Amino acid sequence: MKVFWELGWFFKERKKQYTLGILLLLMVAFLGVLPPRIIGFVVDRISEGSLTPEYLATWLAILAGAALVMYVLRYIWRLLIFGSSIILARNLRAQLFQHFTQMSPAFYQKRRVGDLMAHATNDLQAVQQTAGAGVLTLVDSIATGGFVIAAMALTIDWKLTLIVLLPMPLMAYMTNYYGKLMHERFHGAQQAFSGLNDKTQESISGMKVIKTFGQEQQDIDDFKSLSERVVEENIRVARVDSLFDPTISAIIGICYFLAIGFGCYFVVNGEMTIGDLVAFTAYLGLLVWPMLAFGWLFNIVERGRASYDRIQALLAEPVDIDDREDAIDEEPSGDLVFSIEQFNFTGDERAALKDVHFTVKQGETLGIAGKTGSGKSAILRLLLREFDDYKGSILFGGIAIDSYKMQRLRQAIGYVPQDHFLFSTSIAGNIAFAQPNAGLREIQEAASLAHIHEDIENFTEGYETMVGERGVSLSGGQKQRISIARALLKEPELLILDDSLSAVDAKTEEAILQSLKTTRSGKTTIITSHRLSAIQHAHQILVMDKGTIAEIGSHEELMKKKGHYYEMYELQRLEALVEQGGEL
Amino acid sequence: MLAKETQKQQELTGRDQWIVFQRLLKYLAPHKKMLILALGLLILTVLGDVLGPLLIKIFIDDYLTPGSFPTGPIIGLAGAYLFIQTSNVIISYFQLLKFQEVALKIIQQLRIDAFAKVHGLGMRYFDQTPAGGIVSRVTNDTEAIKEMFVTVLIGFIQSTFLIVGVYIAMFFLNIRLALITLLLLPILGWIIYLYRKYSSVFYQDLRERLGQLNAKLSESIQGMGMIQAFGQETRLKDEFNKINDKHWQAGKRNIKIDGLLLRPAIDLVYALALIMLLSYFGITSFSNTVEVGVIYAFVTYIDRFFEPINQVMQRLSIFQQAIVAASRVFLLLDEQEKAPRQFGTAGEITNGEIEFRNVSFSYDGNKEVLKNISFKAKPGQTIALVGHTGSGKSSIINLLLRFYEFEKGEILIDGNSVKEYETDELRRKMGLVLQDPFLFYGTIASNIRLYDQTLTNDEVRKASEFVQANPFIEALPQGYNQQVTERGSTFSSGQRQLVAFARTMATDPKILVLDEATANIDTETEVAIQASLERMRRGRTTIAIAHRLSTIQDADLILVLHNGEIVEQGTHQQLLYQRGLYHKMYLLQNGIVE
Repeated sequence: MKVFWELGWFFKERKKQYTLGILLLLMVAFLGVLPPRIIGFVVDRISEGSLTPEYLATWLAILAGAALVMYVLRYIWRLLIFGSSIILARNLRAQLFQHFTQMSPAFYQKRRVGDLMAHATNDLQAVQQTAGAGVLTLVDSIATGGFVIAAMALTIDWKLTLIVLLPMPLMAYMTNYYGKLMHERFHGAQQAFSGLNDKTQESISGMKVIKTFGQEQQDIDDFKSLSERVVEENIRVARVDSLFDPTISAIIGICYFLAIGFGCYFVVNGEMTIGDLVAFTAYLGLLVWPMLAFGWLFNIVERGRASYDRIQALLAEPVDIDDREDAIDEEPSGDLVFSIEQFNFTGDERAALKDVHFTVKQGETLGIAGKTGSGKSAILRLLLREFDDYKGSILFGGIAIDSYKMQRLRQAIGYVPQDHFLFSTSIAGNIAFAQPNAGLREIQEAASLAHIHEDIENFTEGYETMVGERGVSLSGGQKQRISIARALLKEPELLILDDSLSAVDAKTEEAILQSLKTTRSGKTTIITSHRLSAIQHAHQILVMDKGTIAEIGSHEELMKKKGHYYEMYELQRLEALVEQGGEL
Repeated sequence: MLAKETQKQQELTGRDQWIVFQRLLKYLAPHKKMLILALGLLILTVLGDVLGPLLIKIFIDDYLTPGSFPTGPIIGLAGAYLFIQTSNVIISYFQLLKFQEVALKIIQQLRIDAFAKVHGLGMRYFDQTPAGGIVSRVTNDTEAIKEMFVTVLIGFIQSTFLIVGVYIAMFFLNIRLALITLLLLPILGWIIYLYRKYSSVFYQDLRERLGQLNAKLSESIQGMGMIQAFGQETRLKDEFNKINDKHWQAGKRNIKIDGLLLRPAIDLVYALALIMLLSYFGITSFSNTVEVGVIYAFVTYIDRFFEPINQVMQRLSIFQQAIVAASRVFLLLDEQEKAPRQFGTAGEITNGEIEFRNVSFSYDGNKEVLKNISFKAKPGQTIALVGHTGSGKSSIINLLLRFYEFEKGEILIDGNSVKEYETDELRRKMGLVLQDPFLFYGTIASNIRLYDQTLTNDEVRKASEFVQANPFIEALPQGYNQQVTERGSTFSSGQRQLVAFARTMATDPKILVLDEATANIDTETEVAIQASLERMRRGRTTIAIAHRLSTIQDADLILVLHNGEIVEQGTHQQLLYQRGLYHKMYLLQNGIVE
C-alpha cells in the first residue's frame, strides 16, 4: 500500500477529482445495498400475503431511482478516477521523455532501448492501473464489502453473517495464491514466447542464408518444436488459470449452502423471515466482487509499486552534463585547441586518450587516421561534449567548451556519425532535421553537396519519400550521404565527419570532399577515416595509436617522416605498383 | 507498406470481419473431438449451475415455507446440492482447461502456417516488407488471436450456454415470466451493438495512438544522440507531447464510452430485470399465491445471467483486436509473392558451367536493372563483377540463385536452364557467401552445420581447416561449442566471415558465389580471408562481386557493369590497358592521381 503514499503528490494535485470520485464510489456502494433489501421486503409481503400495490409501487420506484442514480454516479466516478489515472500516465510519460532528452550518451550506452521502452510502456501502464483500478478496488472492496456486510449483519442477522463469511477470506487467499503461481508460470510462457519471437526474427533476417542452403523445411521444423514449447508453457498457465472460476464457485457454493442451511434454522426459529433469507442470499452475490477485488488489489499494488520505483529510479538518474550557471550564451567560433592529458571512459581502466594535444585553426581541415579503438572517436565525442570528466581542456575560440551553453555549442557543430541514424519521416524532413523551416531549395542544395540529390530525385516521391520502417529502404551509402546533407544544411562552424564516407564509393567520396572544400572555406572541418584518401588533403593529419598521437603533420610532412602514415600510404602504393606490374 | 496496411485495417467492414472470423473458425475443425468433449463438459457445468437454484427452490417451497423438515428428503436434497456443486467444480476445471488447450493448439497451427508461408515467399517480398512487420505477423498478431480464443470465444460460448440453460430453467418454472424476461435480450443486444459500434472505432484509435507514441519514443531514444547533437530536444519534446496528448484524449473517449455502455449500463438492465420480476410476482400475488422459492430461483438466475455478459462485453475489444490481427495474418497467408518455381526436369549439376544469355530484369516491372546481359563461365573459372552500387552486380547473383524470377533471356547451368533444376540441387551445388556473414544463435559448430545433421564433427572441422578458420576457433575457450549470441556480435566481422566460409565449404558446392565477401573485413584478417578464398575457388566455378578491385585481380574474366549493362570486360591487365571505366575505378580506389 506504500505506493499510494508515494503517489500522494499526484492525489493531492487531483484532490478534487479523487475526493469527489471516492465520495461517489461510496454512494454507489451504499445504493448497491438497496436492491437485495427491496427484494427481501417484497418477498416477505408476498409470503405473508400482505403486499399492496402502493407498497410494491413505492419500493419499485425507489429501486428504479437508485438504479438510475447509480448509473449516472458510476459514469461520473469512472471519468474522475480513471480520467485522473490516464493524466498521471500522460504526465509521467512526458516527464520521462523530458528526462531522456537530458541524458548523456554515456547513459544510453548503459541502457538498452528495450529496457527504457519497458519503463515508458509496461511500468507506466502498471502505475496508471494503480492510480485508477487500484484506487477503485481499494475503495470499492472496502466500501461495498463494508456496506453489504453491515446490511447483512444489521438489517438481517449478525450471527448468520458471521457464519456465512467464514469461507470468504479463503477465497481472497486462494485467488491471491493462484495469482502468484500464475505470475511465475506466466513468466515461463513469456520466455517461451520471446524465444519464438527471436527465432522468427532471426529466420527472417537470415532468410537469404537459409534459402541459400535450402534449409527451409528444417527451419520450419525447428520453429515447430519451439512453438510446441510455447503451447506447453501456456498449458501450464492454463492449469492455474482454469482454477480461478471453479474455486470461486466452490467457495460461493459453500457460502450459499451455509446461508440456506443456517438461514432455515433461523427462519424456523422465527429469528428471520423468508424474505430476509432471499435478501441475504442476494447480498452474498454482491460480496463476491469485493472479495475478488481484494485479491486483485494486492497484485495491482505490488506491480504498481515495483513499476513506480523503477520509473522513479530512472527519473532520479542525474543529468551528468549540464550548462554551468554562468554559461556563455554565444555560438562558439574560432580556433580549436584540444589539450587532453588523460581521459577514461566510465568504468574502463585503460586510458582512451592520453596526452593528446593539437590545434585546428579556424577554416582548416583536420584528418584523423588510426585503427578502430585508437582514440579517433573519443576525440570527437569529447568535442561534442558527451563527456565532461577528462583531465585537460578543450578550447573553442579561446574559451573552454564546457563554458558555453550546450545548445550554443551544438549549434556550432554539424556532426555526421559513423552509424547513420535517420528518422522515420520524409527525406526532406531528415535533411532539414536541425532546420525544420528550411525551404526545399536549401534542402536540395545540401543534398547536392552531399551528392545524394540525384538518388533522391530518382525515388518516386522524391524528397517526400518516407524513410525507415514505413518507407523506402536506403543503402548504407545513401543513408550516409543523407546524414552528411543534414549536417551541411546547418552550415556549421565545425563539421565533423566520423568515418562517414565508409559506405560511399571512391568516386562519390572524392566528389563530396571536393564540394566540402569549395563550400566550407573559412570554416573548420574534422574528418576521421579508415581510408587515407578521405583525409590526405587535410591541412593537418593526426595518426592515432592506442589513445595517443603517433604522428601529426600534413600529408607531405608525414610522408617525409617515413613513419606509420608513410607505411600505410606506401603499402597502398606498393600494392598499386605490384598490381600494375611495376609500371606507373 | 505498414502505412498501407493500417489503412487496410480501418477499411475492414463488418462483412470483412465476419469473413475473417469464419476463416478463423475453420481452424477449429481438426480439434473436433476435443471440442466436443469440452462442449460436453460445458453442458454438464451449465446443467449444474441451473440445477442448484432449482434444488433450493424445491427446498424453500416444499419444506421451509410449510415448516416441515423430514430428515430423509432434506439430507437427500443437501446431498444432491453438494454433489452437484462438487462435480461442477471439477468438471468446469477440466472444461476450461480443454478449451484453452484447443485454443493454444489452434494458434500453434496458425503460427506454423504463417512461418512456413514466409519461407515459401520470394525475396521480393522481403525487400518490400520490413522484417519487424513479418515477425509481428507470426508472433504478436497470432498472440492477439490467442487472447480472443481463450478469453472471448470461450467466454462467449459459456455465456451462450448458460443463458440458454437459465432460460430453459426459467421456462420450466414459469412460462409467462420467462417470456417477459425474454424482453431483456433485445435490450442487451442493443447495448452490445452500440458498444461494439462505437468502441471499435475509439479503441482502434487508442491503439493506433499508442502505436505512434511508442514508435516516436523508441525512435527518439535510439536517435537521442542525433537529437542532442542537432539541438532538437525541444522540438522533439513538443512533437512527443502532442502525440501524448492525442493519446490521452483517445483514452478519455474510451473511458467515456466504457462508462456509458459497459458495466454501469449492464447493471442498469439488471435493475430493470429485478423490477420486472418483482412487479410480475407482486401483481400475481394480488390474485394468486406465489411460491417464494420460485422468486428465489428467478432472482438467482437473473443474477447468474448478467455476470458472463459483463465479462464478454469487457473483452469485446480483444475480439476487435484479434479480428484485425487475424486479417493481417491472413493477408500474409494469402501473399502471392511466391518464390520462383522450379520444374525439376533437369538432373544433376556436374561441371558447373554457367552462361547468361541476353538476360534483362526489373524488380518493379518498370526500371530495368539488368539490360541484355550475356557472359559465360567455363567450369573452374572465376568471373568477377565490378561496378557502382546499383550497377546490377547483385541482381545477377540474385537471378542465378533463383531468389527472383526473370522473364527475358536465359540462364544456363551445364547447358540446362536454371529453372529446370530442383531447388535442392541448386542449393546443394551453389554456395553463396554474403557480404554480411549472418550467424545464427547457437554454437560455432551449429553455425557451420546449420541443420545438416549428417555432417560429422570431423567434416565440420575439415571445412574449417580448409578455410583456415580452425586456428581461431580452436583458440576459443569452448572451441567449436563456443556460444554464438544473437547475430554473432561477439565475433569480429572477419571471424564471422571465416565461419560463413566454412559453412559454405562444408556443403562442397560446385559453384561458388561471393557477394562482396570481403567488403567488411578489417585489414588484419583480410590476408587470411584472401588466402582462404583462393583455396575455396580452386576447382570451382566462381562468380564474385568485388568491392575492392585488389581481391579479384586474378579473375579469368572481369565484367564491368554500369547501369545494368556490361560496359567493359576482360582480365585485370586487359582492362587496365583499356584505360576505361575499370582503370578509373582502380586509380581512384588506390588514391592515385594521374
